Amino acid sequence: MKTIIVVSWRNVWRNKPRSLTILMAIAVGLWGGIFATSISAGMMKQRFTSSIETQVSHIQVHNPQFLKDDNIRYGISRADEIERFLAKDSAVKAFSSRTLVSGMIATATQSKGVRILGINPVQEAATTRLSSTIIDGYYLSAGGRNPILIGKKLADKLKLKTGSRIILTFTDTEGEIVSASFRVQGIIRTNHSMLDETQVYVRQNDLQSLTGGRAIVNEIAVLLHDLAQVTPMVEAISGQFPENEIRFWGQLSPDLLYMNEMAGASLMVLLVIIMLALAFGLLNTMLMTVFERTRELGMLMAVGMNKIRVFAMILLETTFLTITGALAGGILSGVTIYVTSRNGIDFSGVGGDTLSDYGISAIVYPELFPGFTGNIVILVLITSVLSALYPALKALKLKPSEAIRQ
Amino acid sequence: MNVIRTFGLSKTYNHLVVPVNALVNVNLEIAEGEFTAIVGPSGSGKTTLLNMLGGLDQPTSGQIFIDDTEITGMKESRLIDFRLRNIGFVFQSYNLIPVLTAIEIVSFIMLLQNYPKDKMEKRARELLDQVGLADKADVRPQKLSGGQQQRVAVARALASNPRFVLADEPTANLDTQSAFNLLDIMLRLNREENITLLFSTHDQRVIDRARRVITLVDGSIVEDQHFEK
Repeated sequence: MKTIIVVSWRNVWRNKPRSLTILMAIAVGLWGGIFATSISAGMMKQRFTSSIETQVSHIQVHNPQFLKDDNIRYGISRADEIERFLAKDSAVKAFSSRTLVSGMIATATQSKGVRILGINPVQEAATTRLSSTIIDGYYLSAGGRNPILIGKKLADKLKLKTGSRIILTFTDTEGEIVSASFRVQGIIRTNHSMLDETQVYVRQNDLQSLTGGRAIVNEIAVLLHDLAQVTPMVEAISGQFPENEIRFWGQLSPDLLYMNEMAGASLMVLLVIIMLALAFGLLNTMLMTVFERTRELGMLMAVGMNKIRVFAMILLETTFLTITGALAGGILSGVTIYVTSRNGIDFSGVGGDTLSDYGISAIVYPELFPGFTGNIVILVLITSVLSALYPALKALKLKPSEAIRQ
Repeated sequence: MNVIRTFGLSKTYNHLVVPVNALVNVNLEIAEGEFTAIVGPSGSGKTTLLNMLGGLDQPTSGQIFIDDTEITGMKESRLIDFRLRNIGFVFQSYNLIPVLTAIEIVSFIMLLQNYPKDKMEKRARELLDQVGLADKADVRPQKLSGGQQQRVAVARALASNPRFVLADEPTANLDTQSAFNLLDIMLRLNREENITLLFSTHDQRVIDRARRVITLVDGSIVEDQHFEK
């Protein structure tokens, strides 16, 4: 077998320009596929991380009635006990209890519907990236009267800046309309431009005092250390507090779940298409090789090389070509991904700003999907076997007596 | 002892517009140690006969025995193995593997035969020495002259220690000196090693040295001459 391997390897380099051409086609094709995939993977990871860390968290707890009626009066049962439970569990990285109400934000000249999140600033800063998204002014603090954080997009629409006064109008726990004046303490910009336009943040105790004075908590968002701990934690909280609705990130944001489950597969399809195209190039090269070496193959069969060895030789030649090209493409991809993942690729000049509408930063950090490398290796091997099949069968059909006279 | 025996060997090519009888009722016996030339005009059936005897093609009718083994009707996979162990081939256009060196080409046949690896290189070098190419062992075919390439082909043919060697027009592409050198080597191997050699040829230089000359015309043996040399 060693000799067959040596012969196959040397045969690859018999026609250097042709071999190098197909090698480059494989390398560039694979590089393009892997790099495009890694950009998509980077975008999706950013979207996932951003959604988890900015908005959804890993787990959320609600009163089931609140999910149906979105009314502030439906607070979580035994919210303080849940908080104590979460504080004791080492799997929990942080949690944030929120009081939620929908209402209107109004300036002297304009108004707009918004979601008002009453947050505990310390808990929220540990659970989400909110505190790091301030682009003007300051994050919520204990001091001052009725501070509010608003998104940049909303600020632009309502022509607000830090220090501006606004009026929030909403209904309290008794269904009465309440209005209160707030001062813009900070302006935020997240990767979710839609949220930046529709959500505002106030201190939870300010909101609670305006909505009836009761310490109602409508939502507890839980961030865990590890994604793998999500299911056991959902079960643990559900077991302890069955009267509440406990949902994990996939239920809270089904598009994230879909993206996580389908993204790898759909990007793999892209690579399969690229490899399929390359397979035809390889097939062509190997067919030419077989036709050019008809006499030699006839001689080998005449002197006693059996069909298994002839088949193995053609298969090995194709595999060497494919693996060498794939290796070059892999190294090229590795270097490109390594370099670009450190500094990111700025898409803002080519319409990348619109990415923030989907929760993705304009600067994308390419990365490989977990397990993707293994899949590529399998794909490359399948491609080489498929490409070798027809030329090898063609070679096996040669009649030595005719082939050696060509 | 006869190495090759054929009985009523015929071959008709039916895929042509008109069926062509390439061989007609050929009965032949080749004894061990013979140096035989098969001669005849183009299209007389020399190559067809060699292909039949070498198990590269099957006759339309008749039988071929190599020693006591009938190769007509043998399964392709068995035939390949039979060729590997019993028949050496020398082709008109050398047909060496261009990516291997002379010694690798000679060893290749032994590798296919699962020859003991520790003895392989020694035997390959001995064979190259026998054909006068000991100093070209590590040279690839493209750096050898036509005569040298054909001598490597002879060494390859002998590598499997075959019962006989079939050579199809071995000197056709060689200049006079190379042809004489090759013939000298083959004659010596025939005399000293008792190797059975069967040529198809047009070349008078080969015919003059053969101890038996079989003449084919239109697929039939018309003359079978034995010479004392």
